[in-house]
Amino acid sequence: MATDYNDILLRLCFHLKQFTSPDVTIIPETDLINELAIDSVKLLNLVMEIEDEFDISVPLNALADVQTVHDLAKLIHHIKSAK
Amino acid sequence: MIRITKLEGKTLSSTITKLNAPLTQAFDCQLSSESTIAVAPTPTMCSVQAQRLADFDTLTAALEYAAGGTTGYNFYDAKGNLRSVLSYQALRQNAQASAQRLSGLGLVRGDRVALIADTTPEFVELFFACRYAGLIPFAMPVPVNLGSHVVYVQQLRGILEGSNASAALANVDYINFLREAAEGVQGLQWVGTPEELGKLPALDVTPQSNQPDEIAYLQFTSGSTRAPRGVIITERALMSNLQGIVRSGLEIRPGDRCASWLPFYHDMGLVGMVMAPMVAQVSVDYLATRDFAIRPLQWLKLISRNRSTVAFSQPFGLKLCTLRVRDSDLEDLDLSCWRAAGVGAEMIRPDTLRNFAEKFAPAGFDTRAFLPCYGLAESTLAVTFSKTGEGFKSLQVDAGMLVDRKMAVRLQAEGRKYNEFVNCGRALPGHTVKVIDDAGQELPDLRLGSVLVKGSSIMTGYFNNPEDTLRTLQSGNWLDTGDLGFLFEGDLYVTGRRIDVIIVNGRNIRAQDIEELAEQQPEVRTREASAFGITDVNDAMTIVLVIECRLTSVTDRQSLTSRLQRLVYMAFGVNCLVELVPPHTLPRTSSGKLSRFAARQGFIQRTNLTDHQLSAESRDN
Repeated sequence: MATDYNDILLRLCFHLKQFTSPDVTIIPETDLINELAIDSVKLLNLVMEIEDEFDISVPLNALADVQTVHDLAKLIHHIKSAK
Repeated sequence: MIRITKLEGKTLSSTITKLNAPLTQAFDCQLSSESTIAVAPTPTMCSVQAQRLADFDTLTAALEYAAGGTTGYNFYDAKGNLRSVLSYQALRQNAQASAQRLSGLGLVRGDRVALIADTTPEFVELFFACRYAGLIPFAMPVPVNLGSHVVYVQQLRGILEGSNASAALANVDYINFLREAAEGVQGLQWVGTPEELGKLPALDVTPQSNQPDEIAYLQFTSGSTRAPRGVIITERALMSNLQGIVRSGLEIRPGDRCASWLPFYHDMGLVGMVMAPMVAQVSVDYLATRDFAIRPLQWLKLISRNRSTVAFSQPFGLKLCTLRVRDSDLEDLDLSCWRAAGVGAEMIRPDTLRNFAEKFAPAGFDTRAFLPCYGLAESTLAVTFSKTGEGFKSLQVDAGMLVDRKMAVRLQAEGRKYNEFVNCGRALPGHTVKVIDDAGQELPDLRLGSVLVKGSSIMTGYFNNPEDTLRTLQSGNWLDTGDLGFLFEGDLYVTGRRIDVIIVNGRNIRAQDIEELAEQQPEVRTREASAFGITDVNDAMTIVLVIECRLTSVTDRQSLTSRLQRLVYMAFGVNCLVELVPPHTLPRTSSGKLSRFAARQGFIQRTNLTDHQLSAESRDN
């Protein structure tokens, strides 16, 4: 399970990198809105990439409780393992 | 007296529930076999009965007729697979079954029922169930932003309190938010999911038929900071508007089919794309708003595949399509069937339409399909429609004359600064639009003023809010739309919201113009700038420009601030105060529009404004 999570985190960070400037370091505690500046249009692209990458569907209600990279990785892990 | 009945409708309803199961349940392996049931969508043409165009007394009467045919609603998932079919016949049956359970809750006729409006068959069933049970339903939004939990729950609570709701329902995805919001709300007798309602005993009562003077539903209009206001719409007003939409506006005919991603909690989604098709027995294909937003191509694919003829969008939705659909996707699309591409719900910029038309012309999109219209929840939905099949028309007017003289003077010479406004068409039958000046005098053609509407689909008022009702419904039952515009040869041109006009030294400056200027900066996104005016004790007006800003470096922020001030000064000759705020600070309405009124309130609160501070230089927090 821990390996799964780390794998997800790694792949997620790879995608997040494309939405931010190259000099930003992304760690699990990084805040998606304030630090990575994920606005609503970027969020749509990000969710689309996540859904394609992990072959899942991300429900909107779950995103309301997502603030950090860790939150998002945890959510993806949760959805994947419930599958 | 209370009899537990097994209704035929239940089986179908529960199948639909499973087919459209929220994701948490969809992972359940047992359901996966059921969710692959091959079902065909409801047909476009109804072969068993003639089409009737909204000539009914009430919503339930319309459904009784539609249920005699073969058409209905179809729900598609993010990948474009048909997930559930709700024919009007099944809708009637399921709604009546749920109505008996709602009746068992012991509510009184006219009590309000809150429904979180996800794009699901259950929402539609419950909405009509309320009408069958003599209850007043209203739709509440779903959360859409990252980390929006707290704000969303506050918003729900505001609506529950403002409506004095007696019952509230949400599907399992949203029920926890709803329970949290419902805590301590007085008068709320029952909160649960559609499944929980389904387990309650059904009260076998013969429903009283609804009357045209009764309230059909409430539509909540406002965003997160101002107290939400519930627009009261009667059955008569509703049917009058629906008749105008399907007969005059869309000229609905056999062979029409709708496709929609518009949220059910938005008036254009609910009245325009749920009720209007039903009262004309037209089939609709739905895509959830979230799924559209993530993959806008799916909406166009639905139109193309099912040969839809009518589909509406806000300009923003068209923009998303233009931005996010790849050129390689165009080959698979054939949009030549799309005869009415309705555009409304926010200011329409001609370029948004031109860009969309240019992008999708190779896929067969006909620019003559554009159908700009104007409306607001306070007039049920629609006020004006342009003519079908003629595309959009616009007028270029001299920008200086508009500001200084409040006159729309058509552009004579090249090189002058101009504003271009889209023609929104003329008022529906039974409705009149007029434009008045600040003194209340009616203005002639091409003179800019406040837009007022009178007619058969105007609201009765705001629920439990006599002050706002009095302010909005003026003498003679003229509805003050809060919008500015002008008339020309009977057609309406909307130029912005009234709060959007800032009068500095006797000049009218459109807030929108200032915001557009800001949005042209690379650091500023669309819908992330809000401009308004603040007056000090000497009645001097200061323009404030609030920008949602992601820049972190002090130098970058300072550079943006001073550049904006310079640009505003250059364009309008006035100084302005620039405030940079974190993302998601600016309040938005339920339809995603920025609320300048609320932005202004927020600014005043944040700055604890005293008059002396107004002369101070720009803030940066």
